[in-house]
Amino acid sequence: MAQIEQSDKGGKGKKGGQKKMAIHVDFTPMVDMNMLLITFFMLCTTMIKSQTLQIALPSNEKVEEAQQNKTKQSEAITLILDTERDADGNVMMDLETGKPKHTVYYYEGKPVVDDENKDGIIDNPNIKVEKFIGNSNTGETFGIRNILHNRNKQVLEKINVQKEKWRNKELTDEEYQTLAKDIRNDSTLVRPVVIIKAGPNASYESLISALDEMQINQISRYQIDNINGVDSALIFAYKTLNGIK
Amino acid sequence: MGKVKIKRKSTLIDMTAMSDVTVLLLTFFMLTSTFLQKEPATVITPSSVSEVKVPTANLVTILVSGAGVVDGKRDASVEGKIFISVAGDVDSTFSSENVREAVLIEAVTNYNKLHKNNQIELTNAQVKAFSKLNMFGLKFSELPKFLEMEVAEQDEVMKHLDNPIVGIPIDDNRDMNKPNEFQIWMRAIYNVAEANKDLGNEAFASALRRSGEGIAVKADKDTPYSTIHNVLDNLQTLKLNKFSLMTALKTEQD
Repeated sequence: MAQIEQSDKGGKGKKGGQKKMAIHVDFTPMVDMNMLLITFFMLCTTMIKSQTLQIALPSNEKVEEAQQNKTKQSEAITLILDTERDADGNVMMDLETGKPKHTVYYYEGKPVVDDENKDGIIDNPNIKVEKFIGNSNTGETFGIRNILHNRNKQVLEKINVQKEKWRNKELTDEEYQTLAKDIRNDSTLVRPVVIIKAGPNASYESLISALDEMQINQISRYQIDNINGVDSALIFAYKTLNGIK
Repeated sequence: MGKVKIKRKSTLIDMTAMSDVTVLLLTFFMLTSTFLQKEPATVITPSSVSEVKVPTANLVTILVSGAGVVDGKRDASVEGKIFISVAGDVDSTFSSENVREAVLIEAVTNYNKLHKNNQIELTNAQVKAFSKLNMFGLKFSELPKFLEMEVAEQDEVMKHLDNPIVGIPIDDNRDMNKPNEFQIWMRAIYNVAEANKDLGNEAFASALRRSGEGIAVKADKDTPYSTIHNVLDNLQTLKLNKFSLMTALKTEQD
């Protein structure tokens, strides 16, 4: 393995001169072993560390009517999440975008539940439909993000000013975070209160997407709530009126 | 004409540089990666923009299994099985093993109080075996038998998610006087964390109660909300209102 080579000059040189030795150590087995170790680490470990989204749910205990925090009607926006599934329960994919078919029904303020012709279907449900689309490269927002963006414009504009400063290194990370937090919780601004409700079919992914939108749109007041009869009736009415099965 | 002498060249290649590179690569992998944990169900977590990392210590992970696929068809029967993993502190007194032992003893004591007719007895060896499990999810009544098994046999049992004994039983119970098994476990974990606080380790208890970093719910992206809601509702009933949802980082710009 390891060889000690004598150089040729050694023999003919001066008598008594030190012989020059070149030492070659064969590193091939060492490389073999290292490669094995690398393979082992690549197969048995993961580089990706999961992220978490922190949420706080309200207590399950009954709250007295007087103690309840009432939201201003003008500020409230309710999102109802739904996911289209086939007969087997698989999430259906949108063929154009290749994304799962998540639908967001939403209404602003209180639900309108008039049924004047008494056919059991709400006449003019104030419910609309959007999708999770995101934004274009130019920063335009689409889908439900656009709706929430417009509702929270004042906060977003203020935060963008700070963000620009932070990008230009005028603010440190921490300073920017505290400023952004203050702006998010600034009660003098018009801020929405978002109530997120997920239908039984809605996939976990759509719930996370909805929570994600809160982060993206810097909305500080949002709540996950249970879907109730009124919401189901609204969706049913919307579907019937628009001929969706 | 003289003969052309072919010089004999040595075929030895100097591998030192190669060795250097591999050692560097090896160091990189050893430092940056974490070992894959053995989990009974593989789930694909949804992606989000949140950049909060999952803590490695003082963490309770609640894994909710997703639907399986049988003959190309979605199999909902294995959906919503619950598994719990408990990771303790870096400090050896409150290490994962010690915390798990304490949790098991606490949970079994509570279980026996509630089920006077079918009590379970665990030997010390079984408790030790439990502390080695990274993730568990089994009915209480099956625990003694399961903990007697070899590791390979245990894995074999956990692999079959359609087996009714696999997964911690959960329902929509809101009466804490008659907790379901999931609630017994979570309550036991909470009690152990509180007990550790008295012994000098506050990190676990505060992670569970205050900050919401201590509990992570891990579920598949396609799992319907009705299944997830069951877990969230149970946590609410347990007054563990703050927790985190495990996600992967969103890769695309949307």
